[in-house]
Amino acid sequence: MFRVIPARPAPSGETGVLAWLRRNLFSSAANTLLTLATGAVLVSALAGLLRWALFDAAWAQVWANMRLLAVFRYPTDLLWRPLVVLAVLLLLLGIMAGAARRNEILRGAFWWVTGFVALFALTAVVFWPSVRWFWLAAGLAPFIGYGAGVARPGLLRAMRWAWALWLVGGFALLHGIVPGSVLLRIAPTRDWGGFMLTMVLFTAIVPSFPLGVALALGRRSRLPAIKTVCIAFIEVVRGAPLIMWLFVASLLLPLLLDTDPNNLPAILRAYVAITLFSAAYMAENVRGGLQAVPRGQIEAAQALGLSGWQTTSLIVLPQALRAVIPAIVGQCIALFKDTSLVFVVGLIDFYRVTEVIATQPASLSITGGVKLELYLFISLVYFFFAYRMSVASRQLEKRLGGGTR
Amino acid sequence: MERIPFWRNVKTIGVLAQVVFVMVLLAGVAILFSNVTSALSRANLPADFGWLGSRAGIPIAETPIPYTTNDPYWRALLIGLLNTLRVALVGVVLASVIGVAVGVMRLAPNFLIRTIATIYVELLRNVPLAVQIVFWYTAVLLPSPPRINNPVELPGGVLLSNVGLAFPFLYPGDRFAAWWPWLVTAVLAALVGGIWRARVARAAELPLRVWPVPVALLLGIAAVGYAVAAFGQPEKSALAVDFDVERGRGTVFVDLDGDGRRGAGERAVPFASTVVRVELAELTTSTQNLSESRRMVPSTFRFPLIRDRDVAEVEVGFVDADAAEQAGYRLHFEHFPSRGVVYVDHDGDGAFSRGEEIDPVTGVGYSGVELVMTLRGFERAIVADRDGQIRTPSFRPAGSALAADDGGGDTVGRGVGVFSSFGAAATEAEIEPLRAEVDLRASGPLVLSRVHVPVSSYEGGMRLTVNYLALLFALVIYTSAFIAENVRGGILAVDKGQREAALALGLSSGQVFSLVVFPQALRVMLPPTISQFLNLTKNSSLAPLAAYGELFVIATITANQTGASVPVALLLIVSYLLISMVFALVLNVVNARIKLVER
Repeated sequence: MFRVIPARPAPSGETGVLAWLRRNLFSSAANTLLTLATGAVLVSALAGLLRWALFDAAWAQVWANMRLLAVFRYPTDLLWRPLVVLAVLLLLLGIMAGAARRNEILRGAFWWVTGFVALFALTAVVFWPSVRWFWLAAGLAPFIGYGAGVARPGLLRAMRWAWALWLVGGFALLHGIVPGSVLLRIAPTRDWGGFMLTMVLFTAIVPSFPLGVALALGRRSRLPAIKTVCIAFIEVVRGAPLIMWLFVASLLLPLLLDTDPNNLPAILRAYVAITLFSAAYMAENVRGGLQAVPRGQIEAAQALGLSGWQTTSLIVLPQALRAVIPAIVGQCIALFKDTSLVFVVGLIDFYRVTEVIATQPASLSITGGVKLELYLFISLVYFFFAYRMSVASRQLEKRLGGGTR
Repeated sequence: MERIPFWRNVKTIGVLAQVVFVMVLLAGVAILFSNVTSALSRANLPADFGWLGSRAGIPIAETPIPYTTNDPYWRALLIGLLNTLRVALVGVVLASVIGVAVGVMRLAPNFLIRTIATIYVELLRNVPLAVQIVFWYTAVLLPSPPRINNPVELPGGVLLSNVGLAFPFLYPGDRFAAWWPWLVTAVLAALVGGIWRARVARAAELPLRVWPVPVALLLGIAAVGYAVAAFGQPEKSALAVDFDVERGRGTVFVDLDGDGRRGAGERAVPFASTVVRVELAELTTSTQNLSESRRMVPSTFRFPLIRDRDVAEVEVGFVDADAAEQAGYRLHFEHFPSRGVVYVDHDGDGAFSRGEEIDPVTGVGYSGVELVMTLRGFERAIVADRDGQIRTPSFRPAGSALAADDGGGDTVGRGVGVFSSFGAAATEAEIEPLRAEVDLRASGPLVLSRVHVPVSSYEGGMRLTVNYLALLFALVIYTSAFIAENVRGGILAVDKGQREAALALGLSSGQVFSLVVFPQALRVMLPPTISQFLNLTKNSSLAPLAAYGELFVIATITANQTGASVPVALLLIVSYLLISMVFALVLNVVNARIKLVER
């Protein structure tokens, strides 16, 4: 007779908190010493940082300038516009997250952003009476969207158009539509700034996407003229840093179009430069995906009688783009950080506002200034978004097969 | 058989498409070109490179090669390029070192070390470089270190202040010309010796060490040459120093006419080693309430940095001793004799205690208390700078401060005193005139130039400005986070079996890493790391945020001054493309070298 002996639990010394501690912190005498020394340094550094942040730092000056940080000099009575744009963005995100419930990555990102906005909405309800209701609307929008998405998953099919409408409509609303009217009057772009401007410039990734795909296809074209031009554009643009292209664009665009520089707002020049720059990098990312599509796929498509155009748009591109989503998210992170370079054309984006705040008389009167506080604050905000994107990118990579294809 | 109509022939369509594409492109370019030319001519802006030769007038703080504001634009731009390379090359080396260290730390068995490395990487990768540069520049390096006349003295003669970092440095002295043929010989011999040794090792099929042979050859020949050059027949030189002790400035030059004064056409000599002696002199200063390192420093006085070895005897006192006694002022030295505070001994313990430097009535420090330092037997070895200049503190004749003060009466009427002191020159008999002598010393092929602070700037040694340091720190730390990720990926890519096999062979864990794991990881991590090096170089164009004069900064200033936006843009694009091409070339060579040789 055989009797199955149930597996015994691992020895108590090999599991649990103590075992983990021993393995990771105190595995040998040298390791213990290292742990103690590093721990001591870490604790003292953290204590110093906390002491500074809680007692010495002048956060009041950052708090008082929250509006400058958010929208810079955007007219005070028009603050509802960026908040409406934000609310619609969250609504659409909510619908997508609610409808595509199996997409854990999208939902994770959605809840993080919602939490971030909800924090501000709460703050607004308590401290910012002038924009209280719009912040509240923005805070509720994602939940409404999520509910709508759960109830009507069919909405997902309309999302492409909704996003396009949001992008165009958002720009129009921020800029103003009817000159002279009260609600929809023009808000001059020189008053745009702060985090709003950073986000506006970040949307340059959208037009750069089709441009980049076109360039990538052109680079793999069999026609030498098209191929040469595409390679030249991609390599020249990628060869020089973005800050130089921003500078060059701000100088040359008025000359190229032979118009008065005042007719071309700095924000437009920066947008063009960022779009073209981003398109060149996008092209290289997409090219990586195109190369990863097996030759047999194209041959099979041709054998089925698909035209060249159909082969590319129905067979090659869907596979290629799927493979490079993590790389594109990586590019989004890079672009999000690089929007801080628009200071070179005189724009006051989220980063540059800190310089404005730091030179206010109220800031200068504080011994030591408030730069440390300001930089810490904007670093945290930048970090929040960039890190969240990099987490999503890593999840995508894992889902797409460890990034190997 | 039916022929394909030409409009459905793929070849024809391709040719036609290209013709149309090129024509549209050319038409577009032509329109833009005519736009640019008409806009340029209308605005009367230069479209050629003629301005390159005209006077730039751009002040640049850091110039690797001699430069004045009278030099032309091309030289200013060249300095910009050199400054770019200066920050990029040093940055690449430092970023690699830190990147490898952090990358290895991310895989450390110790949880704390691993976590710190992870936080380092994630934090720095996800915050814009622009923010990091201004953080280092305006939030750390400008406000945190003390002022230039109160520098932090680090071991090895390194000084740190809010002007920058300065450290002793070796410069080619007057015998360098005799040494450098030896240096060339040494390098050639090392190359030949190394190749020979490698051949021998390969022929003998023995694991011989190759590197000791070339290194020994290099060092040996260079050392012999150094000795020959240093102790050989000294050249008959006609060097002299034109030194003005009142201004504290002098020039080492080739004295052609032998009159000891530098006339026209007499060349300045760089890096000459001199000794300046001043028998009896004094320095004056007065106390100030300063804001330094983010806090107020009341009642502080700062003389130029004088070290013990500089002087035989030194004393510091009040210019108006009677008034000081009346007010109860005392001196407390933080660093004798140069730095300290004036205080009043309120608690009567005979020594300085915190808070005593603040006037209890007004709540601020005692400012404007005049102090005098009397020095006997000042002697300092000074190595002339690149332009042959030497500098000392601006000494005054001993007794002159006292004489000026006596004429002025008491300290209350100080404003009046200054004016009346001109009339008080009657006491001139007490003033001893300044006597200084400067000796030129023979030096070897290399001269060690030490740092000193004669007035309010570093002189001698190697100086790195805060701007350079801020840009360098930010670039190095930002890039090192990316390199660390490459290193981690490279190490993880090495098969686990390799490590186990190496351990089974009895190698120590250090040997396993340095002989087996790292060389194989290098193959994976080198290509992305080289593109990080290129990123670092391109990112150095964020220099305007740290006010460091590299290529992009100089080019923007040039474009603003001359209005030559198109030529400047072309120059910039071509320069960056060249830099990118050099990196691409290196990358290709490296890729070819590290490629697995498949049989």
